[in-house]
Amino acid sequence: MTDKDQSSADDKTLVRASQQGDMAAFEELVARHRDRIFARAYSMMRNEEEAVDLSQEAWVKGWQRLRQFQGDSSFGTWMTRVVINLCLDQLRKQKRQRTESIEAMDEESGGVERQMPVVTVNPTAGLEREELRQRIDRALGLLSYEHRTVLVLHEFEDMEYKEIARTMGCSIGTVMSRLFYARRKLAVLLADIKNQDLL
Amino acid sequence: MRTKLTPANRLVWFPTLLVLLACVAVDAQAADAKFQVFLLWGTDDSKPPEGKAYKPVQPEIRQKLKELPLKWANWFEVNRVDFAVQQGVTKEVPISAKCQVNVKKLADSELELCLVGKGKEVVKRKQSLPKGEMLVLGGNAPNSTAWLVLLKRIE
Amino acid sequence: MDYDKQLKLQALLDGELPEAEASAVAQWLAQDHEAAALREELRNTRGALAEFEAGIQMPESREFFWSKVQREIERLETPAAKPASAPFSALWRRFLVPASAVAALIIAGVVLNRPDSTGHTPAAEIETALADSGAFTYRDYSAGTTLVWLSYPADTEVADNDEMGTVE
Repeated sequence: MTDKDQSSADDKTLVRASQQGDMAAFEELVARHRDRIFARAYSMMRNEEEAVDLSQEAWVKGWQRLRQFQGDSSFGTWMTRVVINLCLDQLRKQKRQRTESIEAMDEESGGVERQMPVVTVNPTAGLEREELRQRIDRALGLLSYEHRTVLVLHEFEDMEYKEIARTMGCSIGTVMSRLFYARRKLAVLLADIKNQDLL
Repeated sequence: MRTKLTPANRLVWFPTLLVLLACVAVDAQAADAKFQVFLLWGTDDSKPPEGKAYKPVQPEIRQKLKELPLKWANWFEVNRVDFAVQQGVTKEVPISAKCQVNVKKLADSELELCLVGKGKEVVKRKQSLPKGEMLVLGGNAPNSTAWLVLLKRIE
Repeated sequence: MDYDKQLKLQALLDGELPEAEASAVAQWLAQDHEAAALREELRNTRGALAEFEAGIQMPESREFFWSKVQREIERLETPAAKPASAPFSALWRRFLVPASAVAALIIAGVVLNRPDSTGHTPAAEIETALADSGAFTYRDYSAGTTLVWLSYPADTEVADNDEMGTVE
């Protein structure tokens, strides 16, 4: 396959060529999807260096497992699942090494999200895209990994509740409750960030 | 009070130890090598197919499979055979109606494994397999599942 | 507000509430201002997140990132020789030099007297003779596991068989 062929070929063609051992075809796939894979790793890890390393590991695993890819989903979706699993493994390892976050304790001590007042004014209304991105970035960084992960899997990966439950090894009820807390907490955090910027 | 190991003592003890180790090594060479071979089925379903009483794989094997670049969530044991092989001898081990492995013990930890499917040689491989290590052969199966032939040296 | 109802409201927003329950929640939303405000808050949060990842880009150039991926793939596909352990070397020098001649004689004796009918070199750790040219090998040194993934049975062959195709 020539360079021109590769850049015009669709993902399925490139995957087939890669499955036959064509590294150049695989490089084209990496080039096409690397931002998406990195973004997913970054959303979950909140650390650029770790996200780069895990993206790299995901692409290496992707190459190794390529023969198992049977086209049930798009290649991009398949690769994001690879990177998500690597991030979850990494986060679980990190969790074992640190104490429970305050957010997790909050949740288990009686559902503080039920006490949080509703944020009636949209705290992100009228913001430029970059400003909005930075604020969400800050707010996501303040959530525990369980809450952030459930949010990422639902909002960015479009996973259904039952799929998230399977991925995270918890019940659907826990997923719903974590998602609810994460959204409510995020709204409060975004409102706080807005208020801080106004001061 | 601890006895200090002087250079003179070392000259006596270490060669003695080595001689003993060498004797053990010579003895081990003559012994049979013992193996377990498993035929496994990989799937994302939590249960084996209807009508099949496959058991989930042992936790130790499940953990090792988890560390390999394999996508399937669950592994079921279809068959398991324990066998021993003498040095220089080829042991034919049927693991299903259509499939068998031929294992020949070469030297020390080395062996030659041949996977035969429907009477045809599928793969032949020479491999160093010390005690506790595993050689896993696998491939895709219908309905997005997988088969594995797992050879584990137990002695 | 009832917590279960709040979760149902969220499920309605996510399209995960069964139709049978959806009308009851919709009715509740129409009557309860607080519930309607909560729905707006949840919607706003979803909206704010919608474009978040679109702005994130890999900080490394295409060429640099690919070179790292490619190097790692090649490294893993080439069975590497195990590096000698430095502490062991130090121990060897410190304690076993005087015994090395004796050890060498014993080991040479063991090797020369070993019955080896195959005639192949024991030093070759892995040697493959694959009838399946589409196979690839993955070696996990820390776990002591070697995986050989085969293209057998071929897809067409698999399609003709049940569950485990030609293996079972």
